[in-house]
Amino acid sequence: MAILEEPIKNITSVQNYINDEWVDSKGRILDVVNPLNNQVIGKVPVSTREELDEAVQAAQDAFPDWRSTPPPARARYLFQLKELLEENFEELSRIQTQEHGKTIDESRGETRRGIENVEVACGIASLQMGEHLENIATGMDEYLVRTPLGVFGIIGPFNFPFMIPLWSAPYAVATGNTVVIKPSSEVPFSQMKLAELVEEAGFPPGVWNVVNGGREVVNGMIEHPRIKGLTFVGSTPVAKTIYEGCGKTQKRVIAQGGAKNFMVIMPDCDVRRTIAALFTSFFGNTGQRCLAGANLIIVGEDDKFYRNFMDQTVALAKKMVIGNGLDESVQMGPIRDKAKKENVLKFIESGMEEGAKVLLDGRNVKIKDDYPDTCFIGPTIFENVELDMRIAREEIFGPVMSVMRVKNLDEAIKICNESNFGNGDAIFTASGNSARQFRFEVESGNVGINVGIVAPMAFFPFSGMKDSFYGVLHTQGKDAIRFFTESKVVIERWF
Amino acid sequence: MRLNTASEVISMSREMETAGSSFYRELATAYPEAGEQFLAFAKENEKFIAQIKRAYYSVISDALEGGFAFDLDPEPYRLKLEMVPGISLKEGLKKALELEAKMVAFYEDGAEQSMSLMADVPRAFKKVAQKREQRQAVLKGMAPE
Repeated sequence: MAILEEPIKNITSVQNYINDEWVDSKGRILDVVNPLNNQVIGKVPVSTREELDEAVQAAQDAFPDWRSTPPPARARYLFQLKELLEENFEELSRIQTQEHGKTIDESRGETRRGIENVEVACGIASLQMGEHLENIATGMDEYLVRTPLGVFGIIGPFNFPFMIPLWSAPYAVATGNTVVIKPSSEVPFSQMKLAELVEEAGFPPGVWNVVNGGREVVNGMIEHPRIKGLTFVGSTPVAKTIYEGCGKTQKRVIAQGGAKNFMVIMPDCDVRRTIAALFTSFFGNTGQRCLAGANLIIVGEDDKFYRNFMDQTVALAKKMVIGNGLDESVQMGPIRDKAKKENVLKFIESGMEEGAKVLLDGRNVKIKDDYPDTCFIGPTIFENVELDMRIAREEIFGPVMSVMRVKNLDEAIKICNESNFGNGDAIFTASGNSARQFRFEVESGNVGINVGIVAPMAFFPFSGMKDSFYGVLHTQGKDAIRFFTESKVVIERWF
Repeated sequence: MRLNTASEVISMSREMETAGSSFYRELATAYPEAGEQFLAFAKENEKFIAQIKRAYYSVISDALEGGFAFDLDPEPYRLKLEMVPGISLKEGLKKALELEAKMVAFYEDGAEQSMSLMADVPRAFKKVAQKREQRQAVLKGMAPE
């Protein structure tokens, strides 16, 4: 099978997109590295606080006119953007693979999920409708309108560079707000391409702005008096800091953090399809997703079932094709960068030191083709994992499966609920009764039944509980509409 | 090497349909008396490409098993479609039937393997396989007495 063409051919310098203009930053410049071969593919600025101020000012200036633009007219900009995204679907997907390392199937999946949010936001004329009750008292009516607030900041992570800002931005602008997006400085290209398409779609100046950078920009967003709210997806410690910071500066916030997700295997599951689903869950995106499977709990005392299940899992994992994500036959790409790879390696070492048994060691994995200076780690599988081990408790963000056994479903659910996180747990079973019990009792914002990646579609909120989420409303769907609007209630009578 | 990812199976389907389309266009030129039917098949192949592409690009998602939905050996489905100059219509039809049989088997195999893992893709595969079964009946009916 062919290796698809790389869209980024030369070292490309990323600019900020402020007030419908592409501008160079005065900040220091960082390299953007392709994790496949550690070659520099671009330069990204660490923008200054002043540059953030310029973007916020542009967004603030654009707000009065944009909020006065009728919702059906705002939707037409989004329809135009949706058309452009479809036309550029393949290029957007390949950019994600080149900047992040994920496989082309995964990138196309990310592109589709991002576009779905634009599609949902196109229905803003229905979604933003308020409520009305006629005759609350004789001759009096009361109604509620959802009104935009102003400028919102959107902070994107490295693992889904295209999709995750789209969990927020389409809803923010559809409801009449304006946005300043800060992409991850490790993977800025897909947001640059998206901003080019926003420009081509003809959005008015200042409605959609992009400021590249790091902590300085994030802190600037938290402290900025003109920013009304923030959305963030990233690690739990940073989510917590942002949540607390927004509390101090009276901003509304959606702060999505890390995870440690459990996949519960009942002995009556469909083994072949369950294993395929688990591979996507544990090893998809090279384990770098907040909905990745991390701990595998096998229920029951049937040793034969357990051994057979694990033998098949290990045998399949050994056959996985690892390499260049633009090679269509590749099933897993590299870790995003060397520092993250080192972190995963430390977890693998800690699992060994703490006494877990290694069924498959991904540290010296065979890679398809020759990429000598790389960020690859193969699938790694531990069994006899105990709950107090670091590999069972902490988020690894790499392709590591930690397997434990329990006697029954009650015990499995108890273990799931003891975790500090509550992002995405799943059960694999043929029993409706077991599935129902799991769904009802498990403390997790996203629950899967025979689904290993519990990623809600755009018209449902991306939920999360405990240390996986700080806030009240969520990104995507109706929750996002509520988040990006204020409820204004009118009581009316006429003399 | 076996095919595991959705991307490579979709690419293989596209390549087979494209090759099949060219083959039917050649048949249409070689046998003008049946040209209309062969051209209709060629155009239908192009529709199949669009249908499958649409199913894949519409449903592919980070939540589905795109990298692990197949375990398909491509070798039995390799097409040998080179036209030998001067072959009879009967031989041409025989080749076409072989092509269709391979395509039906490819799509049925792919649909079975990805069932409940790739959502709409196996459904699209099954639909194309059904259409091709109808096509086989048409081809058999075209054979000269």
